[in-house]
Amino acid sequence: MADAAAVSARANRRKSRSRLWNKILRQPVGIAALVGILLLIALVTFGPELYPHSAHRTAPLATLKPPSAEHWLGTDELGRDVFARVMAGGRVSLAVGLVSMLVGLTIGSLAGGAAGYFGGLTESIIMRLVDVFMAIPAFFLILVIVTSFGNHPLMVILTVGFSFWPQMARPVYAEFKKFRNSEFVEASHALGGGHLRVMLKHIFPQVLPQAIVLATLGVGWAILSEAGLSYLGLGIQPPLASWGNMLQNAQAYLWLNPVLAIYPGLFIAVTVLLFNVLGNALRDVLDPRG
Amino acid sequence: MTYYTLNRLLQGVLVLFLISLVTFFLINLAPGGPSSLINMESTAAEREARMRQYGLDAPAPVRYVRWLAGAVQGDLGNSINQGLPVTRLLSQRMGVTLQLAGYAMLLTTLFGVFLGVVAAMNHNRWPDHVVSFVSTIGMSVPNFWLGIVMIILFAVTLGWLPAAGSSTLGRGFDIVDRLRHAALPAGVLAFSLMPNVVRVTRSALLEVLASDFVRTARAKGLHQRAIVWKHTFKNALVPVISILGLITTVLLSGSVVIESVFGWAGLGRLAIDAASGRDYPVILGVTVLVGALTVLVNLLVDLLYAAADPRIRYG
Repeated sequence: MADAAAVSARANRRKSRSRLWNKILRQPVGIAALVGILLLIALVTFGPELYPHSAHRTAPLATLKPPSAEHWLGTDELGRDVFARVMAGGRVSLAVGLVSMLVGLTIGSLAGGAAGYFGGLTESIIMRLVDVFMAIPAFFLILVIVTSFGNHPLMVILTVGFSFWPQMARPVYAEFKKFRNSEFVEASHALGGGHLRVMLKHIFPQVLPQAIVLATLGVGWAILSEAGLSYLGLGIQPPLASWGNMLQNAQAYLWLNPVLAIYPGLFIAVTVLLFNVLGNALRDVLDPRG
Repeated sequence: MTYYTLNRLLQGVLVLFLISLVTFFLINLAPGGPSSLINMESTAAEREARMRQYGLDAPAPVRYVRWLAGAVQGDLGNSINQGLPVTRLLSQRMGVTLQLAGYAMLLTTLFGVFLGVVAAMNHNRWPDHVVSFVSTIGMSVPNFWLGIVMIILFAVTLGWLPAAGSSTLGRGFDIVDRLRHAALPAGVLAFSLMPNVVRVTRSALLEVLASDFVRTARAKGLHQRAIVWKHTFKNALVPVISILGLITTVLLSGSVVIESVFGWAGLGRLAIDAASGRDYPVILGVTVLVGALTVLVNLLVDLLYAAADPRIRYG
């Protein structure tokens, strides 16, 4: 009897898993985006080890050179190899994007989850804070924090992540509020489940599909924010390369060598595009309401 | 209606108060705090005198209450680096930003709504896919980079439009000159904001197009264009208006970077200079002003709802 139930549960799970697979296979563009992202990560991870030029070595006699077999994308105003810098900058930009998304997701889920689950005073305080942070344009908030806490790369990550916790908190809050009084939550309480267990094991999985979609789109947004901040000279500081601060350098040479401004921006645009396309595809697969 | 407006205004004031509180304490939580701006070469006595001059010797809560008491009377303190009242700096810079934001909002609305309608009318056919592709590009391209590319194209290569500034120096008010200067920055901002409006317009319109009264209109033989513009569009307007309120914050964020790309001396530029110069009173002032603009726009949007949809009544 128990065996039969277990077998049928397993069969059900297998069936729903294969249905998920079918849905995923119907998203060729999304799969292409995922492959693109993996290729990009591979490029910035292994590229700098394989490419013969360093991202930091200057060459005063070979500045602002056009692309050649030697320097694939040419050299910048200090004679540094642009392709090597693009790969090194990509490491920083992608890392900042991924980690700060995790930071925002964590803060947002904790705050939104607590507000929705506990209700009452916790809810009023947290959701009022969400309103306040939503009313400050994100970039001004980032400026305020970076001004006071400095622009160490770790600080940039925390700041960019922190700036989008309200966007993450809202949907999580709505779901937790919806499920707070549902039967499965009551059942788990009756079985002796504590608050943390109920929140993590029973309610959070309901929010997970939406959170995955938001997180994927959030990576793109975080990469754009870091790029903007570094472009303004307030984010990642040279000599550490990031796609944003490469653009800041390049703008000074716009009249002399406009191509320098093209490559880093193109990499930002393609990367963010891939994450957005993947996010939209994931929304179609995981979140039927979105 | 009056009660509702008053209530919302009061809530707005509360949000503003909280914005100033959060910003003030974020700034003051920082290691070193505002005092770190004081020149390292100055002697201890000089430093103490400067601290007292700016009232930095008092504990943070006292300073906040002092700032708030001034703010209520329209005094946001003085800029540490420029010595001028923050309110004067803000009023000097606000015009430029509002001008840029106004043009960008106009372009965003016009093109966003138009493309959204086109996409909805051709649901799942090629124009729909093209619009959605362009929207995704708009969402993904960093707007400051697009700005640089536009400068390369239209200013450096073609020489059609000016590369920087909001007007030609030394020339009086000249509307053509102003518009030529605004074309690139406003266009770039609009391109990155448009996807939001397109998405909302498209889905709102699709929803209304699926309703019964549209089927009736179609059954009596009305042309598709008449159905969309005369019958459906008004009904789809409410969500579109609400997204215009939401993108105000995105617009103001975007203008920070765009003002730098195009050398406009607006609030964004002021904020960046204050941030790199650690000019705390200015940063606080700009953040509160920008928060006030956001709150105000969202209030206007809520009141516009009632105008667009007579079913909405505020008690």
